[in-house]
Amino acid sequence: MAMSTREVTIIGFAIVIAAMFALEFLARRPGSRIPTVGQWLGYLMRPRIGRVLVLLGWWWLGWHYFAR
Amino acid sequence: MATDDVPGGGDRLGRRSGFSPWPARRRNRARAAVIGIVLAGYAWAAGATEPFSTTALVCVLIPGVVLAAIAYAWPPQRIPPPEKLDITGMFYWVIAVGALFEWEASAWKDNSLPWHPSLTDLINPLLGPHVVKSAAILLWICVGWALVRR
Repeated sequence: MAMSTREVTIIGFAIVIAAMFALEFLARRPGSRIPTVGQWLGYLMRPRIGRVLVLLGWWWLGWHYFAR
Repeated sequence: MATDDVPGGGDRLGRRSGFSPWPARRRNRARAAVIGIVLAGYAWAAGATEPFSTTALVCVLIPGVVLAAIAYAWPPQRIPPPEKLDITGMFYWVIAVGALFEWEASAWKDNSLPWHPSLTDLINPLLGPHVVKSAAILLWICVGWALVRR
């Protein structure tokens, strides 16, 4: 049975999001070289501008999904 | 039988010296419970707002303003960030985030047609039920707080 393009798109999103969860899981294993989301976001937020941009990104997500 | 002079554990020692850590811990738990209830109530109310309305915008603005004020004026004790990141390890994340953006951008470029929907088009129907939208708002606020602590 052939898959529709819509299904391919949805599967693409599912694969990428599943990969992110897998990365987070692998990052939490002891001795892992992969940083957790919290670690790399914390690293990006070390300079003030990084902090402002990450918080703006968080707020934009809320506006995009809950206010629109 | 007199056992008062037998050395005990930490809490016994604390009680004997007139200092007990329990009331403080109980107070913190009570405070966390109150904050949790208030946030859940707020998320429930925000979840009931009509999309594209001023109320919905204000409901999203309030957590943003409150967290920005906390981050600026009363910053909580922050979780220390790592001094440096492993390049190879970070590269896996760059690939994953880049792929997500690319997939989303290609949908957006095509005007998000039904045959190539954007992530927003896929998530919006899921946020339809009030309880799901409220839970998502609560999660969003918690993520914001976690970011402020970073």
